[in-house]
Amino acid sequence: MRIGMPHMGNIFIPFKAMFQRLGVDYIMPPVNNQRTLSLGVKHSPEGLCIPFKLTLGNLIEAAELGADTLLMIGGYGICRLGYYAKVQEQILHDLGYDVEMIQLGVSERKFFGLLKMIKRLSNNAPWTKIVPAIRFGLAKSNALDRIERVVQKVRAVEQVKGTANRLLAKAVKAIDQADDYNTLNKVRMDYIDQINQINKDGQTQPLIVGITGEIYVLLEPFSNLDVESELGKLGVETRRTLFLSEWTKFSFFLNSLGLNEKARIHKAALPYLKRDVGGDGWESVGEKVLYAKEYDGLIHLAPFTCMPEIIAQNIMPATKENIPVLTILCDEQMAKPGMLTRLEAFVDLMEWKRRAQKNH
Amino acid sequence: MIRIGIPRALLYYQYYPMWKTFFQELGAEVVLSSPTTQTMLSSGASRVVADTCLPVKVFCGHVLSLVKECDYIFIPAIRSVQRRVYNCAKFLGLPDMTKAVIPESPPILDIDIDVNKGKRVLYQAIYKLGRHFTWDPLKVRRASIAAWQAHLNYRELMSSHSLTPPQAIEKMLGSSEVEPKTHSSHSTSTQGTIAIIGHPYLLYDEHINHRLIHRLEQAGNKVLTPEMLTTEELESAIVKLVGRAYWTYEEEVVGAGGHYLESRIGGVIGIMAFGCGPDSLMMDVVRRQAARLNTTPFMSLTLEEHTAEAGVVTRLEAFLDMIYRRKRKQVEVCV
Ligand code: SF4
Ligand code: SF4
Repeated sequence: MRIGMPHMGNIFIPFKAMFQRLGVDYIMPPVNNQRTLSLGVKHSPEGLCIPFKLTLGNLIEAAELGADTLLMIGGYGICRLGYYAKVQEQILHDLGYDVEMIQLGVSERKFFGLLKMIKRLSNNAPWTKIVPAIRFGLAKSNALDRIERVVQKVRAVEQVKGTANRLLAKAVKAIDQADDYNTLNKVRMDYIDQINQINKDGQTQPLIVGITGEIYVLLEPFSNLDVESELGKLGVETRRTLFLSEWTKFSFFLNSLGLNEKARIHKAALPYLKRDVGGDGWESVGEKVLYAKEYDGLIHLAPFTCMPEIIAQNIMPATKENIPVLTILCDEQMAKPGMLTRLEAFVDLMEWKRRAQKNH
Repeated sequence: MIRIGIPRALLYYQYYPMWKTFFQELGAEVVLSSPTTQTMLSSGASRVVADTCLPVKVFCGHVLSLVKECDYIFIPAIRSVQRRVYNCAKFLGLPDMTKAVIPESPPILDIDIDVNKGKRVLYQAIYKLGRHFTWDPLKVRRASIAAWQAHLNYRELMSSHSLTPPQAIEKMLGSSEVEPKTHSSHSTSTQGTIAIIGHPYLLYDEHINHRLIHRLEQAGNKVLTPEMLTTEELESAIVKLVGRAYWTYEEEVVGAGGHYLESRIGGVIGIMAFGCGPDSLMMDVVRRQAARLNTTPFMSLTLEEHTAEAGVVTRLEAFLDMIYRRKRKQVEVCV
């Protein structure tokens, strides 16, 4: 049994750490690239959202490399995502790959689902081995997100554009390679220091934009043409509430204890959207309301044809909390030059607004 | 009398007799929007972002046409009517979305339907809805029992008499409520039997599908629809193709598609809406099955705001030609 799984940002790093500790035979498909996308697009039905296409591309590439057991998120009540695996499995079979799909349910009893799945994959390893392996994976995920948060700030004000991103790439590699907590902590602190020491433009007060939208396009830079780095180049600091480590922590552990990190966001959305609409649509509306008071603008990332985000997009203009919003629809048609022009115009608008406010 | 507006779109086709009975029992008058027109579609489409699916645009058009005609508009948020089977996101967002894009709309009566939350929550939701009309819980109870009975009668009428929803509604509630009469019930010779599958709001909205059923019947075909199958038939087809149902309306697509593909009929036509999330996946499952079986011709037709009538007609004719040719060949072989 050789395991393969799709990418979503850096999710492969914690999984790899876990698999290694448990002696699971796995193969990671290449990180998202043009070929992944073309494969996914070619074999996907029409009208599907980009997460489907890219994850399909990953699964095909994993199967090509010899994976015979594929992990895919599943469940129900979570929009099309819950149906992905069923169709992707049929596509892979029709392509002639003899693979088995294992669905990782994220809708209910996720925690037990995850534990059970890992138990199965690890050939019944003892819990005393599984639990520490999961913990170590989570620690890596945490470290990655802590560094990324620093990068988001520094990117906007660094003198030589691209420095922070280069360090981030190195950090990701180092974290991936770290074998124990000591190394991991050292790597984390080391890189945070280095990134903080990057030369910065002294007096600029960067614009701040919130990034909201659908989870996959938020966490997978390849799918959004790395919009956060592009904003950084334009001198804009980005913030988002959604990070992989947080999401895992809550959706796999704390939510089952009745804690809900999103309660605040949902409450803010309530006057405009009273209920969960699947995906992340409810959060998008809520974050617009919340961020209106705090940030200069909001970038709303949505996969093209994404149902919950279309609802959000229709509702957002009606909120009385006002903030410039730029919706970016992510799909294979999206091209960088077009996006950059829109970002530049958006930054101009935010700057203008900030000046107008100051003069008041 | 309080006037309740009901848009003739989306879930109307599944639930209208039930809703109408409920509100009438509570002493309200029900105002139904007229059949879809181009004006409705364009006005609805102008309110929402372009990528919104066609049926939701149509829905907004119907709401707009009711704005001045009623005191409330009824838009339920139906999340789930079967345990662990959920509806498309758009249905959940419908009340709030309508409010956002049609601010001039009369107040919206919404009700959350989610059977996963248990019976009590459901009853409470119904009672809360009834409270707009009466404080008497018994009266609400009576109204909901009558409504449920109407719903059962409606379903029974469709499956036992092989009626389409508009036909059944006509039979139950009188002729003033139906779309223009189109069904030429006495076609003499049957060219072939064609099944059409898809959501009722696509199959029976003659404006957006360019009178598809009518055209098929005119050409001398017998038309089968998902409502003509029993629940067991639908469910067993779903189990065969995808395991357990995931979407609420999976029966109309995967269930009916799977069943008809194996039932030795002339052909199956899948109708889907441009920009429809669930259909993009479900129709693909049916298409794959059709290719695998390779016994019954299958065609899928995607309806768009700007689908030209001529385009639909051409594709339909080509499909029918192919079926007739096949049939003639088979006959020759048999002889
Ligand atoms: S939330 Fe959007 S991107 Fe995710 S499965 Fe649903 S439609 Fe696709
Ligand atoms: S099921 Fe499809 S057509 Fe119906 S509301 Fe949802 S996206 Fe629109």
